[in-house]
Amino acid sequence: MPDLDALKAEAKRLLDEGVIEMVIGFKAGDTPLHPQPAFFKTSEEIDQLVYNALCQNNLATYLTRFPKTQKIGMLVRGCENRSVNALVFEGQHPRENLYLIGIPCEGIIDWRKIIEQAGEEVISVIEQSDNTVLVESKSGYFTLEKDTLLHESCARCIHPNPISADIVIGELLPEGDPALAREQVAAFANLSLQERYAWFRQEAERCIRCYACREACPMCYCEECFVDHVSPRWTESGTTPAGMQGWHIVRAFHQTGRCTSCGACERACPMDIKMTYLTEKLNEDMRQKYNFEAGMDTKTPPPFSTITLDDKSRFIV
Amino acid sequence: MSETPKLVLFQCQWCLFSSADQEWVDNQLPANIHLIKVPCTGRINPLYLLNAVQGGADGIMISGCLPEQCHFKTGNIGARRQLEEFSDYLNYIGYEQERVRFLWLDLQDRGIIQKELAAFEAQLEALGPAHNLATRLAEPAGGANA
Repeated sequence: MPDLDALKAEAKRLLDEGVIEMVIGFKAGDTPLHPQPAFFKTSEEIDQLVYNALCQNNLATYLTRFPKTQKIGMLVRGCENRSVNALVFEGQHPRENLYLIGIPCEGIIDWRKIIEQAGEEVISVIEQSDNTVLVESKSGYFTLEKDTLLHESCARCIHPNPISADIVIGELLPEGDPALAREQVAAFANLSLQERYAWFRQEAERCIRCYACREACPMCYCEECFVDHVSPRWTESGTTPAGMQGWHIVRAFHQTGRCTSCGACERACPMDIKMTYLTEKLNEDMRQKYNFEAGMDTKTPPPFSTITLDDKSRFIV
Repeated sequence: MSETPKLVLFQCQWCLFSSADQEWVDNQLPANIHLIKVPCTGRINPLYLLNAVQGGADGIMISGCLPEQCHFKTGNIGARRQLEEFSDYLNYIGYEQERVRFLWLDLQDRGIIQKELAAFEAQLEALGPAHNLATRLAEPAGGANA
């Protein structure tokens, strides 16, 4: 966990010296389980800055909502840093107008897992140095192991460290194991066709089409999403089976070679629908077929925006 | 299987160089094959495939020009990458990959498309009808489990 005072001092310095006009970070939310994204424009406001393992949003989402000329500072963890890189590649913000304050990330806690054990009415959550979390709720005090609370996409994170931040606050962490990231996809792919479809259908049919996953995703910044397009209507936009399945299939497919496995879509879902098994599959394919990982730099184009004649695919004559 | 498989043929308008073949595709296609002509295979959005799948297609054939012979230089190669991955991805969630087939036609090819369609149809008959993901179909009388 990085030193909060060091974070604040750096953010204050940047604002005071006029290096940037705004810092995107977190402040305390309505409940201790939900710190919320915040946009600090003066160094006095920085005192409200909060950073802990419950900060679950991917802040890179907000990058595309400001003019490209604005100089923006941002707290970035590993996945956020890669999202920013992917956005910079796609021309969504010039890198010179960004100042990235890197934080090596120990993983985001899934608040649903806290509620499961401590009940709905959580009063405070304190991370302790021995990798446990002390939760105070109306039903009493609970000491929970942090590793068991991590969100699934954080538990299998490969790159926890910011890779191209301008300054890194905190100690760098060891890289994750790619085999761990592969496990979920491999396990799913090993099921029979009917089992896979049954799982997909059961997940997709809970969808209420609120598009929280789309709003939470940094790479979903289209002015007009394919589901909002009216003429021609690309896909059913109601909560019909075809509409719900179509949304989940195509939303994930549009992230091919762009998804940085941050898991913000899954954390944002009010219906607790699992989605990373779809994007992880596509990420894994990109890794295996094209040796590509999204956001590792700001120069390499994703596989779908380049072409070569020597693809190894079953369609080749 | 008694019923003939429903097939969707996406055809690049440049790939059939033989006018006899093109005439056959335009006018004499069997009723179970639905023809969708596109200006280039690169124009095929994965959403089109999904719409075909959701509408109950048992198989999808995409016929395009050979690599390096694309009318628009590189459209077919881009299409190959995307659609290959998309069919693999559909397989991951329950629509067999064998149901999506690419057909690359050469300048000199004559009568290939008829043969390939027949072979594909035979393969689809062996696979049986596709129920997964065909969510846009009306439910049979008595509900989905009847």
